Amino acid sequence: MPRRCTPIPTLLIILLPFLLTFALPARAPGDTLLKTPFAQIRDQARDTQVRWYMFGGWAHVNTWVDTYVAAEMKKRHDIDLVRVPMDAGVFINKLLNEKAAGRKTGSIDLLWINGENFKNARESGLLFGPFAGRLPHVQKYVDPDSITHDFGFPVQGYEAPFGRAQFVFEYDTARIQAPPKTIPELKAWIMAHPGRFTYPQPPDFTGSAFVRHVFYAVTGGHEQYMAGWDPDLFAQKAPLLWDWLNDVAPFLWQKGQTYPKDSAFLDTLFSRGETAFSMTYHPPHAQNLILQGTYPETVKTFVLDDGSIFNTHFTAIPFNAPNKAGAMVLANFLISVDAQLSKYIPENWGDFPALDMDRLSAQDKNRFQAVDLGTATLKPDQLAAVAVPEIPAAYLEALEQGWKEHVLDR
Amino acid sequence: MKHYFILLLVVLFFAVPAGVLVLISLAPGWRFPDVWPGAFSFSGIAFFLQQKEQIFSSLASSFVFSLLTVGVTFFMCLLPAAVFARNDFTGKAVLEGLLLTPALVPPMTFAMGLHFFFIKLSLADTLPGVVIILAIFSYPYMFRALVAGFQTMGEHYRICARNLGAGPFAILWQVELPLLMPAVVAGGSVVFLVAFSEYFLVFLMGGGRVASFTGLLMPLLSSSNRSLAAALTLIFLLLPVGLFFILDLSLMRSYRKKGMA
Amino acid sequence: MSWTDNRAGRLISGLAPLLLPYLVLFCGGVMLTICQSFGVFTPLPHAGAALDAYAKILTDPAFFSSFGFSLGVAMASAFCAMAAGTFLAYQVWQLPAKLATAALIYKIPLILPHISVAFVVLVFWSPSGIVASIAHYLGIIQSMHAFPNILYSGWGLGMVLAYTLKGTPFAMLLVLALLVRFDVRQIQTAAMLGASGVRIFFFIVLPRMAPAMHTSFIILFLYGFGSFDIPFVLGESRPGMLSIHVYNLYFKHDLARRPEAMAILTMMFFFAVIFIIAYAKIVQRLENGVRKL
Repeated sequence: MPRRCTPIPTLLIILLPFLLTFALPARAPGDTLLKTPFAQIRDQARDTQVRWYMFGGWAHVNTWVDTYVAAEMKKRHDIDLVRVPMDAGVFINKLLNEKAAGRKTGSIDLLWINGENFKNARESGLLFGPFAGRLPHVQKYVDPDSITHDFGFPVQGYEAPFGRAQFVFEYDTARIQAPPKTIPELKAWIMAHPGRFTYPQPPDFTGSAFVRHVFYAVTGGHEQYMAGWDPDLFAQKAPLLWDWLNDVAPFLWQKGQTYPKDSAFLDTLFSRGETAFSMTYHPPHAQNLILQGTYPETVKTFVLDDGSIFNTHFTAIPFNAPNKAGAMVLANFLISVDAQLSKYIPENWGDFPALDMDRLSAQDKNRFQAVDLGTATLKPDQLAAVAVPEIPAAYLEALEQGWKEHVLDR
Repeated sequence: MKHYFILLLVVLFFAVPAGVLVLISLAPGWRFPDVWPGAFSFSGIAFFLQQKEQIFSSLASSFVFSLLTVGVTFFMCLLPAAVFARNDFTGKAVLEGLLLTPALVPPMTFAMGLHFFFIKLSLADTLPGVVIILAIFSYPYMFRALVAGFQTMGEHYRICARNLGAGPFAILWQVELPLLMPAVVAGGSVVFLVAFSEYFLVFLMGGGRVASFTGLLMPLLSSSNRSLAAALTLIFLLLPVGLFFILDLSLMRSYRKKGMA
Repeated sequence: MSWTDNRAGRLISGLAPLLLPYLVLFCGGVMLTICQSFGVFTPLPHAGAALDAYAKILTDPAFFSSFGFSLGVAMASAFCAMAAGTFLAYQVWQLPAKLATAALIYKIPLILPHISVAFVVLVFWSPSGIVASIAHYLGIIQSMHAFPNILYSGWGLGMVLAYTLKGTPFAMLLVLALLVRFDVRQIQTAAMLGASGVRIFFFIVLPRMAPAMHTSFIILFLYGFGSFDIPFVLGESRPGMLSIHVYNLYFKHDLARRPEAMAILTMMFFFAVIFIIAYAKIVQRLENGVRKL
């Protein structure tokens, strides 16, 4: 048998990837960045790449980021923006893993985050900051009182505002003339029209928000929860919610055996006529889909008189972001007047601005007011009339866990 | 008559879905109860053109890591396949069974265990990490193909060449590899397809950093923009078909040149 | 090198490029999964006893219904795909040459990724889908809500359909590879001796195809049992497939629940191994009674 020396080169080829991984990663400056003047941060970020991890289930949002935001970042700051679709829960988990593994340099620069994900991230020490107060646009245009708390949890500058959302329902006027106006009316409607209504499965945040709406309505309003997490209060009030949800479950789409796995899927069911209503956190969302051709033109939005939850959503920077300077520049751009205006236009996205209108120049204020939100969208005063704040994050987690136990697994 | 019926069945099950995908990509508003789309428009495809950079870069990324996986599995399996085909030893059947298990057991079982350690070794979120996990998952296909290839080839050519004085490397390069090509192509195409269409392992080990075409496609499947999902799926279909076509043509040409076909 | 003069040494050095990654990555990966299920090597220090995760999983009725559900879906889809694939392969093998090239389109679902096959099933079989539209056109149903609940009935039919659509060409491929080497004169002889088509199929052709059928069944069954892609697109809320359960435990909950995810994976792994061994033994015993041609 001839000698074969080829095992050795073969082994080397296989080991090559392992050897590559020991190449030293670039170090990212941390706390010194928080003391650097912003103009210098901008220069530092020039000609770098920023990786933004965000929820990828909304195609129009993805397009807005990939076209407008990426182009502007390239033009203004020579930054190469890479959007990565990933659910918030999943990237928080990823960061937790990396923190436990001792990974000082990760792969995420900026996160789109709010609510209980922000709380989990803060409690586990996953975020870099406080950086929000260092951003010039935040200092100039944002009302500091509006961003002190996120779902009742103190922000303390660890996330920068990105936009505002308010929960609305969507319906097709061609199929339904008079949508229900309150939660009890909705229950009656569901029971009278079996198989025509459903909500995304929590922990999808739209479905979770729907559950919160019902919670507020059947337990007597939102004020009682604003003080903070009270387990006894929750234990006392939650059964009313489970009863309501379980009462309507047999009359839901698919008899409540299965729920759409996210809001995008519910939109698909609605646009195809399988359900009579859809729901969303973005009031101009219906107009956006009408312009896209996915929804028929007869679709309109409505809110329930019991209240419509509004919240602010934010961007944050992970502790091990490789390009913190670039992330700060991106976060700053996103809260600029131009970006907020572009985001507000229904053709692009329709997300409400997180800016304080009183701090804008008259010209900029006019630009916002001139935006045509479309016939499908409710007017801001209609929305403001029923706006109620979000519940503290601990309730949210209890509600999601409780939903699984008491409604899904029943 | 029976033959046409069978052909009809095959077309119905396997080709009609592809045809329907073409229709969906050209008719974003097609919904119940229309059996045929009411209106055709390019708005779904227009969306595609807007995103073309991202689509091309994720296609390219998938392509690259799939090709690398084929390469790595080839080098992993070449020598061992020769050993298996030419030798008999105690426990050979058991070892062969053991070596084929990574393709049988659910990949989650070993990939998720490795994940945390890949993070520690800085292999997670990298292209090498994705290639490694895909290689471990798909090498059995290359292995079986190469073993069959070596068995078909037999030892005569090698012994002849040795008798004529060729060194081991020359034998490998000039005699064995060309004869092995059909097996390499067969195994390689399966490995390529498996790596190219894999979603979960790339998502787990790539962590969003390694772009993949399946990763781009996944969120679109439950969205309301079915045209785009259908269009991207068709690309998925056409790309390997085109590849194999080109591969077939070039292989045939090289075989003809060498007088082998 | 003196150790290559020894035959065992030569064998091992020849097998090394495969054995090394196999041991380090595959066996190592499985070992790590098992260890993490006991709370060793987990990201967060494990706060309980080693078998805590197993206790939690095995006392949860949702786990058993998921396990049974996954088994059912895998069994149904593997069986259907194998049966359909075998039947179609036998028929396609008998096609005249011109039609046989046309029949190559059976490979289309093989090329499509699993998530796309799931999408195709979604498009065809959802209540607002194509089959429903056809039924409406034919007057069988009056509105989309009268269409039978295929995808969300709780039986996993959507997933079975997708796995079958993907698995049938796979089985066809394997069976055709064997049939191609089959000497058609044996069939002609049997026909001349008076055997009917059915008898020919069951007594002559089937035993020849059996190895491919068994291989495809094992592969398709285990794939249907443990894969993630198709259930992620078509899965139902309840009962869920095991792989989705593990995904949720791993990605969407506290790191403290990591051992539970690993415990489920360990049990899935051992189930797969036991299944392979048991199936192979049963097949061996059955085939020892049959004289091979």
